[in-house]
Amino acid sequence: MDIHSFVNFFLLPGIVQGSIYALGAIGITLVFAIMRYGHFAHGDLATFGAFIALAFTTTLGLSPYAALPLAVVATGVFAIVIDRVFYAHLRALPKIITTIASFGVALMLRSFVQVVWGVNTTSYTRGITRPENWFGIRIKSHEIVTLLVAIALVVALHLFLTRNKWGKAMRAMSDNPELALFSGVDNAKVISLTWIIAGGLCAASGFFLGLNTELKSVMGWNILLPTFAAAILGGVGRIEGAIVGGLLVGIAEELSVLVIPGEYKVMSAFGILLLVLLFRPTGLFRGKVL
Amino acid sequence: MKMKRILAASLLLGASALATPTLADVNIGLLNSITGGAAAMAPEITRSYQFAISQINDQGGLLKGDKLVGTLADAGCNPQVAGDAATKLVNVTQVIGVVGPLCSGALMAATNSATIPAGVLLISPAATSPEITSLKDNDLVFRTIPSDEYQGQALARTLLDRGTKKVAVSYINNDYGKGIAEAFKKEFEAKGGEIAGYEAHEENKSSYRADLAGLAQGGADTLVLLDYGDTSGLTVLREAIENGFFENFVGAEGMKTSAPIKAIGSDNLKTFMASAPVSSKSEALDIFNKAFTEAGGDINSSYVGPSYDAVFLMALAIEKAGGDKAKLSESLRAVSNGEGEPIFPGEWKKAKELIDAGKAIDYKGASGELNFDANGDVPGSYALFRVEGDDWAVETEMK
Amino acid sequence: MEWITVLNYPIYLAIFICIYGCLAIGLNIQWGYAGLFNAGVAGFFAIGAYTSAILTSPWAEGRLGGFDMPFAVGLVGAMLLAGLLAWPIGKICLRFQSDYLAIVTIGVAEGIRLVARSEDWLTNSARGISGIPRPFGDLPYGRAQLIYLGITALILLVAYVLVERQAVSPWGRMMRAIRDNESAARAMGKDVPYRRLEAFILGSALMGLAGALYVHLARTITPDAIDPMLVTFLIWIMVILGGSGNNRGVLLGAIIVWIIWSMSEIVTDQLPSEYALKAKYGRMFLIGLLLQLVLRFRPEGLLPERLRKDPRDQDRPADEKSAASPAAGKGVN
Repeated sequence: MDIHSFVNFFLLPGIVQGSIYALGAIGITLVFAIMRYGHFAHGDLATFGAFIALAFTTTLGLSPYAALPLAVVATGVFAIVIDRVFYAHLRALPKIITTIASFGVALMLRSFVQVVWGVNTTSYTRGITRPENWFGIRIKSHEIVTLLVAIALVVALHLFLTRNKWGKAMRAMSDNPELALFSGVDNAKVISLTWIIAGGLCAASGFFLGLNTELKSVMGWNILLPTFAAAILGGVGRIEGAIVGGLLVGIAEELSVLVIPGEYKVMSAFGILLLVLLFRPTGLFRGKVL
Repeated sequence: MKMKRILAASLLLGASALATPTLADVNIGLLNSITGGAAAMAPEITRSYQFAISQINDQGGLLKGDKLVGTLADAGCNPQVAGDAATKLVNVTQVIGVVGPLCSGALMAATNSATIPAGVLLISPAATSPEITSLKDNDLVFRTIPSDEYQGQALARTLLDRGTKKVAVSYINNDYGKGIAEAFKKEFEAKGGEIAGYEAHEENKSSYRADLAGLAQGGADTLVLLDYGDTSGLTVLREAIENGFFENFVGAEGMKTSAPIKAIGSDNLKTFMASAPVSSKSEALDIFNKAFTEAGGDINSSYVGPSYDAVFLMALAIEKAGGDKAKLSESLRAVSNGEGEPIFPGEWKKAKELIDAGKAIDYKGASGELNFDANGDVPGSYALFRVEGDDWAVETEMK
Repeated sequence: MEWITVLNYPIYLAIFICIYGCLAIGLNIQWGYAGLFNAGVAGFFAIGAYTSAILTSPWAEGRLGGFDMPFAVGLVGAMLLAGLLAWPIGKICLRFQSDYLAIVTIGVAEGIRLVARSEDWLTNSARGISGIPRPFGDLPYGRAQLIYLGITALILLVAYVLVERQAVSPWGRMMRAIRDNESAARAMGKDVPYRRLEAFILGSALMGLAGALYVHLARTITPDAIDPMLVTFLIWIMVILGGSGNNRGVLLGAIIVWIIWSMSEIVTDQLPSEYALKAKYGRMFLIGLLLQLVLRFRPEGLLPERLRKDPRDQDRPADEKSAASPAAGKGVN
């Protein structure tokens, strides 16, 4: 296979898909690190975000790109609401209970989308878009946007976590919660912040997934396994790990078609997860092990 | 604990009693995939069922003026759901016959758990798995849709006749895709064609480019895509066209829906064709199409013709058997197997009069002659369609 | 109205309740006793189902099979294989917090589903396996079902009795000790990883048994019978609602949830078809909501775990006595 096909049909789709995974994985790794449990409603929150964006395009007549920021904010706020209503009162109990609750929330989110928008597949735009050719690389315009926005969001997050007071508070809570509490970090505020960020990134992840393929009610659940694998691969609590992990999982998935039959594509994420747990549970960037 | 059990049991019996209907109606069960994998097709199929029922009731009803009542139940395209729904229909609603379900796995469960043991006739308009042919069913399971064996073979022959000797095949990894793909491959290779790539794909994936790239390497310029136009088939088709992987695209009736036309645009689908079962004598089909469109239905929706036929045939069989459950199978064969006065879709009154007078009739359905063979299957007649404007038009008949 | 046939449906329901009861007890061993979060119940169910199907069905072209073994062999084989699969998964994941086990078991269930769908030679892929025998299956409808109900109820009873006896035995106390205070148990010399693995394998074997029982009821198996929603999530609700750590509780949970699920279907079926679709998905929403309500207001479930009465309890205030959840003792982590 020549370098051309390799880049265009395997590497590039893998990177685009990987960015989508990365956005979701960052949220998962943040929740893992700060609140110490696995958030199984993450995928369906992404579905929710994607459909909210759809609602903005249909009711307000906006273009999808304009609807994205609105959806990000809306989902971020919604995430806080979910936390208040369903998770907050479980904080004193063992974390596994909250994990179970998140499973239930996932189901509720998915059914809500199914009731409101139905089960048919829809999309943001009609027609096909032919990829453009940049020096032999074929890439569609919305793939370029996906990559650019993902990079922008990651950079913004990085700046926030390193420069901003609250970002540093988040990192403190992630590393050592008791000490952070003693230092006067407001637990509740940090948690709300975490949810806004996680929810917003979820919305972006879902939006780009819908933009690059289609919107359907199970879309988020389908990417749950890869995003978790990405977060664990990168190292729980390590943002840069989540990004690298996401990209690696995305690329691995596309490349796996060369070695294993096409139906088993999704198993490559699972395989990566098993390998990480077997040989390097702390992940690439040496995160926590829960 | 014991109290709770007794309470639960009586609640259940009570609810069962509530759901059991009154005596002056003739009840049939309508199994549909309201939830689950085939949910996109369900609304139009339900409309088709109800259309048939309302036509029958408007023209006098069954037997001694009894209303035909269809109890809709969800088979969910899932064996457990279908088994549960069928058991309820057979035992609680006490239907005399069942129409549906759509998915083959659901059908196997529904028939094995409920309809066959209870001696209830079942006619499915959409379950195409070849497995159903060999089901031990005491002659109680029929289909108004041909098995995928036939369509796969006919498609293979037609492509070879049109000069397409080398193809790549991508099919959805379920009983529909697999069944038709295997039948296609066998016949295509047997008659001298070359398969330059044969892969299954799962639905719900975001990118099939890697799969398509692998298939394209075989050098074929035609992709045979055996999938659903409403779901993953749409994604695969779109990616294939956008990236220029293949020149020509061929699908089966799963792809012949309005979704690809709406989403991709007919301008981009000039080289896309799909095969679908049709009636070889199109008079019955025309009658049905006209009436159904007038009633607000979408004739391009999957399986609306066979669904209508299934209900209509069920009613004819019940009429012929005089409402006797045990005689339904032979009555079904009697009203459809080629001898007697032809009856077209919608001609309930005429049919009823003839049956009551003891005369033979032969129903000619919207989906075909419907002469059932020993296994309860119908042979297929198919046509190849191309996209024209917003709709599909017949390109050629398939042999 | 023929009352005899109306009874067929409750009997059918009851068989399902027995099968789900088996699954619930299996999950109870893993979650209630050992605090393990198995989110891939459907996978073990599938292994049991397919194993029993392959072992007991007649020969078919192109597929592994034709062993034509009797029913009992099918059941035993199902349990063995499900337990066998649990072993490597347990070894890899049980070292970590349960969240990791959860995501891995989700992957396992997905993997098993894919194998069932794709491997012709093993499972006849999407076409499935038919012609699976049922003991006394050739008798008339009502009688055959009644007999099968007897068989499944008997098996459930045996499973229940065996597990209950283990639960009140020193083994059960040890498992609870490990679950509630792992470091103390380790300090006492208990081999914690081994015990956890034991519970995981045992629970999985029961899930495999349930799968086998299902497959002989339906007499066919296709890959779409392994629907994660139906199998995994409903079992979790049954266990949590009924009472984790209490076998009677989970059985009660099984009865209640399955009846609610089935009855709500009768209700939604009566609606006109435009609302029927929304109503059906609304059911799922309500089930998810039910879980949240239980976790909020009664996380220990309807029938909480029965702890052996400690004479010192009379001196302690009431709210310290009842554990908020089976693993409450682990503390904030």
